[in-house]
Amino acid sequence: MAAPSAAGLGRRLRAWLPRIMPVRWSRYNPSYLEPEVKKESYQKPLEELTQEEREQMERKAVRPIKAAPPSLSSSVFSDPLISKFTNMMMKSGNKVLARSLMSQTLEAIKRKQLEKYHKAPENEKETIECNPYVIFHQALKNCQPIIGLSNITKGGKTYQVPVPLTDNRKRFLAMKWLITECRENKHRRTMMPEKLSQELLLAFNNEGPVIKRKHVLHKMAEANRAYAHFRWW
Amino acid sequence: TLRLICTTAAVQRKNVGASGPEKYTEAFIKKQIEEFNLGKRHLANMMGEDPETFTQEDIDRAIAYLFPSGLFDKQARPIMKHPTEVFPEQRKIQWGEDGRPFHFLFYTGKQSYYSLMHETYEKLLNVQKHQDQLIAQDLPLQKEKRNLAGSRWLTKIELEEMLLEKVSDDDYSRFIKLLQKLVSLPCADIEEKYIQKFSKEVPVQLQKVVIEPLQHDERGVAFSTGEGKRKTARATAVVYDNGTGKITVNGIDILHYFPVVQDREQLLFPFQFLGRIGKHDMVCTVSGGGRSAQAGAIRLASAKALRSFVTEKEVEFMRQAGLLTVDPRVKERKKPGQEGPRRKFTWKKR
Repeated sequence: MAAPSAAGLGRRLRAWLPRIMPVRWSRYNPSYLEPEVKKESYQKPLEELTQEEREQMERKAVRPIKAAPPSLSSSVFSDPLISKFTNMMMKSGNKVLARSLMSQTLEAIKRKQLEKYHKAPENEKETIECNPYVIFHQALKNCQPIIGLSNITKGGKTYQVPVPLTDNRKRFLAMKWLITECRENKHRRTMMPEKLSQELLLAFNNEGPVIKRKHVLHKMAEANRAYAHFRWW
Repeated sequence: TLRLICTTAAVQRKNVGASGPEKYTEAFIKKQIEEFNLGKRHLANMMGEDPETFTQEDIDRAIAYLFPSGLFDKQARPIMKHPTEVFPEQRKIQWGEDGRPFHFLFYTGKQSYYSLMHETYEKLLNVQKHQDQLIAQDLPLQKEKRNLAGSRWLTKIELEEMLLEKVSDDDYSRFIKLLQKLVSLPCADIEEKYIQKFSKEVPVQLQKVVIEPLQHDERGVAFSTGEGKRKTARATAVVYDNGTGKITVNGIDILHYFPVVQDREQLLFPFQFLGRIGKHDMVCTVSGGGRSAQAGAIRLASAKALRSFVTEKEVEFMRQAGLLTVDPRVKERKKPGQEGPRRKFTWKKR
């Protein structure tokens, strides 16, 4: 496809197109940096910053910054993990529906926890966690696998080799398992928020089918320990 | 020379492309410069202006007046510029009458690039020798760090212009790495002048944009306007001071115009970031685009309007939060031979 020439760094940085069109590209010039939305990071006084942060601040003062995407906002209600989960739940671009399902899930979690809280005796009341965001984060962390398997073909046979996973991959697998679990293993009449809140509460207490799936993966990796030397990266 | 006997006309014809781009002799360029200066004075006389103070802009205006052209492409219209801008700078012939080249690296093919690398490495060795001397004398090494954020290295195109020969991407990156190594050594201040030849200053981003002062309407309330766009949506926002936090879009309240929570969150984002939620009133007009694009356009417009109410430091914070940049992402075009911008047609085996 036609590729207009790139503008030099000194000229006006318009919507930029590279000399050769790569397959994954973005409309921003590569010198643009990611925006920092949280208010707290701007209210720190100068003395508290470490050397690296100071250098980063100076770099940011000179380089242009990308526009903040519509899913990101500085309000207390926007959370990057929750937005990522909502996007993964979304089907055919129906963000309105996905977001409403997410808020109904969080509401359901809060209601269940409050019920438990009011029924519990005095000494146990402090141990019950009522904040749905905290429950969500903790449940996801409990679901993240530590080690993964990858298919390596050697000598004609394909072996399942245990392989370390990056943070992004762990988060993605945890979220994917939760969503597939809720979509498939439920009764036809149960709504998604109900089932999701159930799964999240079970995962928070280290029980439930998603945690079991994680343990199965770990056992498989342990069983295939012998092939670990096949990995070359 | 061989005398060709049985040949065709094609062989005897001159091969036009073999000698490369046309070479201009020095005498030719000099003559062109003289003609240009003479022509400039004639033009000044024709236009009735002073020949001594006739600038390039005056020349451009005079030519546009005397030779009006309806051509669309600006570069196809008649131009009168100094010959150094018209004729590209070329290297003079690199060898003498006996055929022996002047430069000792001529046969490498990239003589200026390699000689530059040799020079830079020589400077590096000098700095290391100096460092060793200081260590031998037990003197402290100077540790003043150069401000890296305010300067950038020359781009590949600028380097090519400097060396007057093509530089490949690999060669360019090698040269930049060598320069960075030179700069990272503690006693690099000695070679500061040499390094300055290859670095350019980058101005701080904020200084490029002018912030308008506040205007006041009849009742004495301060207000300011801003314009924003996102995809196909265009929005204008007027932010009033001493308000209750009411926001009106196209005459309708935001609760009715944007039923989705995400859009309203985007509208309130600049105000929430600055902590001024209940203090300003806003009236906006928006057209074009879809639901999310209109919200993004109004967000940009309100952020631009809020710049006049706020200190410079906070404007810099807003810019670093991504509130003041126009989002360049638009719908990607559909390509021929594919169903959409990325989706290909269903592959059928037969």
